[in-house]
Amino acid sequence: MSHESSETFADQVRAIPGGEHLEMCYSCGTCVSKCMIQHKFEPEYNPRRLIRKAMMGMKQEAFGDKTTWLCSACDLCYSACPQEIHISGVLLAIRELAIQAGYTTFLKTAVVDELTCVACGLCVEVCPYEAITLVEKPVMFRGKAVTVAHVDPNRCMACGLCAASCRSASIGLPDEFSNEAVIENLWEWMRSPVVEVTE
Amino acid sequence: MVDAARHPKVDVRTYTEVERVEGFVGNFKVQLREKSRYVIADRCNGCGECAKVCPIEVPNYFDMNLAPRKAIDVPMSQSVPLVYSIDMDACIHCYKCVDACGKLEAIDFSMEDKLVWEDVGSIVVATGYSHFDPSVMPEYGYGRYPNVVTAIEMERLNNSAGPTAGNLIRPSDGANPKRLAIINCVGSRDKRFNPWCSNFCCMYAIKNAILLKQAYPDMDITVYYIDIRTPSKGYEEFYDRARKMDIHFTQGRPSLITEDPETRNLFVHSEDVALGRVTEREYDMVMLNQAAIPQPDADEMSSVLNISQSPGGWFMEYHPKLRPIDTPTDGIFLAGACQGIKDIPASVAQGSAAAARAGRVLHAKEWEIEPVVAVVWEDRCISAKGKKCGLCAKACPYGAIEYEVGKAAHVVTAKCHGCGGCVAECPHNAITQLHFTDAQILAQIHALLAEKPEEKILAFRCNWCSYPGADLAGTSHFEYSANERGLRVMCAARMDADFIYEAFRLGAGAVLYSGCHPQDCHYITGQRVGARRAERLLKAFEKMGMTPGRFRVEWISAAEGDKYARVINEMQATLDSIPKEKLLEEIERLRPQMEKRARRMRETPQVEKALEYSRELETAMTGKEV
Repeated sequence: MSHESSETFADQVRAIPGGEHLEMCYSCGTCVSKCMIQHKFEPEYNPRRLIRKAMMGMKQEAFGDKTTWLCSACDLCYSACPQEIHISGVLLAIRELAIQAGYTTFLKTAVVDELTCVACGLCVEVCPYEAITLVEKPVMFRGKAVTVAHVDPNRCMACGLCAASCRSASIGLPDEFSNEAVIENLWEWMRSPVVEVTE
Repeated sequence: MVDAARHPKVDVRTYTEVERVEGFVGNFKVQLREKSRYVIADRCNGCGECAKVCPIEVPNYFDMNLAPRKAIDVPMSQSVPLVYSIDMDACIHCYKCVDACGKLEAIDFSMEDKLVWEDVGSIVVATGYSHFDPSVMPEYGYGRYPNVVTAIEMERLNNSAGPTAGNLIRPSDGANPKRLAIINCVGSRDKRFNPWCSNFCCMYAIKNAILLKQAYPDMDITVYYIDIRTPSKGYEEFYDRARKMDIHFTQGRPSLITEDPETRNLFVHSEDVALGRVTEREYDMVMLNQAAIPQPDADEMSSVLNISQSPGGWFMEYHPKLRPIDTPTDGIFLAGACQGIKDIPASVAQGSAAAARAGRVLHAKEWEIEPVVAVVWEDRCISAKGKKCGLCAKACPYGAIEYEVGKAAHVVTAKCHGCGGCVAECPHNAITQLHFTDAQILAQIHALLAEKPEEKILAFRCNWCSYPGADLAGTSHFEYSANERGLRVMCAARMDADFIYEAFRLGAGAVLYSGCHPQDCHYITGQRVGARRAERLLKAFEKMGMTPGRFRVEWISAAEGDKYARVINEMQATLDSIPKEKLLEEIERLRPQMEKRARRMRETPQVEKALEYSRELETAMTGKEV
């Protein structure tokens, strides 16, 4: 009577701690309307749809989905979910599988200036995603084995806490959130005409 | 209701609580607490003069506290019986009502609660259900935002006898709402509160939407739902009608309601699942369809009536499909939502059925029960000698055994269903079960194991699951070992440990201990009593060094004929795998221990006589002197 069944994508997600209660989702959409990322940042972000994709075994679509890479695990949806699914756990499980399959995030993650980094470890301490480690590696102009900070781009959520805490400005986000760009924005804002706020 | 109250054979007791229930089917004694109304029911004619003069106003609970009522009042003008009562928590003892009542002299401030005993033949429990309080869900703002109302509040606001005479208004400013959101599954289908579906909310969401749309055709009504469930006759057509009336149905459970503090309008945040897009829509009023939950005092009621509860707290029926109206206690019946959430047609159907079931008891001069009841040998019960025991009462799923130290245990025959749990549990063999006495079963064991016992598989089967399971294996022509010898008892609870010891003492090759699956037991918890004993036996045999598999415990339902055949064949394979000399050696080695453990059984009355009879039978069968 029984037949051999190969491990499905949903099984793989379930096997990772956090992804267990995948199949309990009945697609009510509470998580989507609760989500701040969806609300403020990315209208295409939809955890309900991503869970559905995982349940239906749509592996490639799930890995390519922006939702896989954007969840910051704030768990606003967890307390609202009527089925008590730890949604961020499921999403991070899918992200883990995506990383194993060789996919990378599309976020502009933090970069380290290895010439000036002194490996004080402050950024390692502050990083909420445990994305930064201290590694020993050859650095041009400095030596063959220099200890510097290293960012795992798949864990980094580009929050910028490391950039704000670094004392030698050796770690930071690229482009529009670089230290220079932020200071430039600040100057612009300070130079802009004062607006009277009336009741 | 008025007809019922006027019927000469119907006695309606309102404002009365059941305190205690004693006795058994046909002969219940019920203690009632008649709460004091402070108004003499026989004298009050319901004129209402007292309420007119009463200076105290309290919230009217019948109108969901949306309107006031007087401290002396009736819940509603159609109340049966139309007798006023005083809310003593609010009364200031001005006695204006006494003056207003005048010559009738119906008001009596010295009245006290009365406890009365009544004899009744059968009991129908129809205590209904209660409502989930949505104020514990902060996201919907019930209790903080005045324009978020519950479904029952909406019923009152839209009722012509309600506080607004049927004119639907917003609580915040009294304006007629133009946009209304109805939210389903508030507190139901929600693992944080109540996991169940509340059954009728989809339908009353549609009903209220249609009623409001008829009264206010330009009102914009949206129903937010997870799934719309319309399974009964005409329900889906009703849903179609609502959609044709331009009522919007949005799939998506709202996650948040916010309020504009100035206009007091509400914003409902939800994903429109069909669009895959998050929406935020503005409404004048929001109605929450809150979950149906058991009555807050359901636990107390279940212990008063000695009936069990299903998960969640609903009263449990005898069998979910075949006996949905009966409780495990004979003579007590269930009607309506107290047994499980149901809508009006289902409640009425169950109520009628319960009345018919109760009528059977009332019209019977004698009540037939199964003859397999338990009986106590009073001279053997150690409780009569002042020792503490009570194991029989603990094993009884029906509370049929009255146990008191100093007195022999007493079985209330009318309550006994004959599982035999008490008989097997009694360490002194002081209880027996008629037609399944220890002597009878022992004689069967002796007869079944008369010849070449080491080759036999003795199978204890329960009457309701394993025995029919074996029967099904036979009628379906599933082959299983011919060395199997079946023995029927009523329940796994009856399979006394002594029987198993005796079987092994006689040299049985293997013994099967089989019964219903725990959830299917026909004696509520009988299987669990048997299962606990089987666990102990398994451990004991392991300690003795018995080959694993010679004693086996399996739960086999009546539909699992294939499983029965498989289990027996597996046991045969186990027996075949043991070399015969080794098996005989093991049987000899364990015999003294089995002898010691089974010795008490032979002290039981009539066992010797039965064994003698069985020996004669054996001699006749085998032609050898035993």
